[in-house]
Amino acid sequence: MTVVTIHEQFARFREQAAEVMHGLYHGMIEHPAFEQIEDEAMDQEDAFFFACFADAFGIPSPVSYYTAELLPYLAEDFEAWERRMWDRDSVLDWKGHFHF
Amino acid sequence: MARFTFFGGKGGVGKTTVSAAYALRCADAGHETLVVSTDPAHSTSDVFDQPFGDEPEPVAGHERLAAMEIDPEAEVEAHLMDIRREMEAQVSQVVVNEIDKQIEMAHETPGAHEAALFDRLIRVMREEAEGYDRVVFDTAPTGNTLRLLSLPDFLGDWVDRLIEKRAKSLDLYQKAAIGKEEPRKTAENDPIIRRLRERKEKFEFAGRTLRENAGFYLVLNPDELSVAETRRAVERLGEHGLGVSGLVINKVTPEPDEDERGRGADYLRERVERERERIAEAEETIPVPVVARIASRTGEVKGDILDDVAAELDIDVGD
Repeated sequence: MTVVTIHEQFARFREQAAEVMHGLYHGMIEHPAFEQIEDEAMDQEDAFFFACFADAFGIPSPVSYYTAELLPYLAEDFEAWERRMWDRDSVLDWKGHFHF
Repeated sequence: MARFTFFGGKGGVGKTTVSAAYALRCADAGHETLVVSTDPAHSTSDVFDQPFGDEPEPVAGHERLAAMEIDPEAEVEAHLMDIRREMEAQVSQVVVNEIDKQIEMAHETPGAHEAALFDRLIRVMREEAEGYDRVVFDTAPTGNTLRLLSLPDFLGDWVDRLIEKRAKSLDLYQKAAIGKEEPRKTAENDPIIRRLRERKEKFEFAGRTLRENAGFYLVLNPDELSVAETRRAVERLGEHGLGVSGLVINKVTPEPDEDERGRGADYLRERVERERERIAEAEETIPVPVVARIASRTGEVKGDILDDVAAELDIDVGD
């Protein structure tokens, strides 16, 4: 028979409490904050893409010939950006946080 | 280092003839000379009766003279293929198909030709020019040429802004990466920033070379349209910090002799009179000296006639 001392019980409780608290902290403060930074990063990225590839939306750009050189390195992001810009209301558009 | 000379002007005024004649003068004066045609019509081959390609080739019958013809269409195509190849190395086929549309579109824009041409021009100034004392460009028509020359300034600023934006978003991604998690993107070794910097450096080189080591001449004909166009071109080049060294008036009608009578002679006299007015107008309203007047020829300018034109083209070839 294992004897659980009161100290061990307290230790286990503290551990569980810490985990819950960290979860709460992460969910209420940490994650939304980082998410905001990431949102800002994405906005910056959108602006960057728009400056590079305005002609994807019919706005003639004298530099699109040069920016096409960047596409091999931006391919996946470019595709996501184009989709986001074309269809802002779609569930796909949104920066990928779903807090159901 | 080679000295670069550009001959600009509207299509059909005779840029190719004038640049070939000038190149000939440079070569005759003892300079190793390369004449580069960027005209899609490729008349340099016609002038020298010899086909030229993308690499400098000696001109038969002329010492110290070489020529090459740049094909903007082929340049655009090569650029497109380069990107496609890079694309296949970097991303999956599914994404390639999606992006291909954008890449193709970028190569069909009206600016693609100028951009490709400008890229090739920079390469000529950096690579092919090595080993020559004089490089003569027979540039594309006025409007396009100006657009081309305004690119370094415009693109330099633009690239700066792009780098800034890109760096900022990468920095934010890094800050957003929680704990031990890998950030989605990092600024170090970012191929985008590297590419943009390369671009900027290229344009800076071009801008510097054009401002410090190049001369511009505008070729015009003695008619109203050509004079007006040239005046505008001089102004616009000035806006980009590029001074025009001189005007070359080409296709000046020869005057008939005093005792010549008849309709043809009257026609010529009237024409000569009008052209005089236009030339006077050019001299008064354009703050650039007229450095040469070249008489109109009835036939194609090649062979001996080219030598004659070269003799009439009294532009300093330097020492």
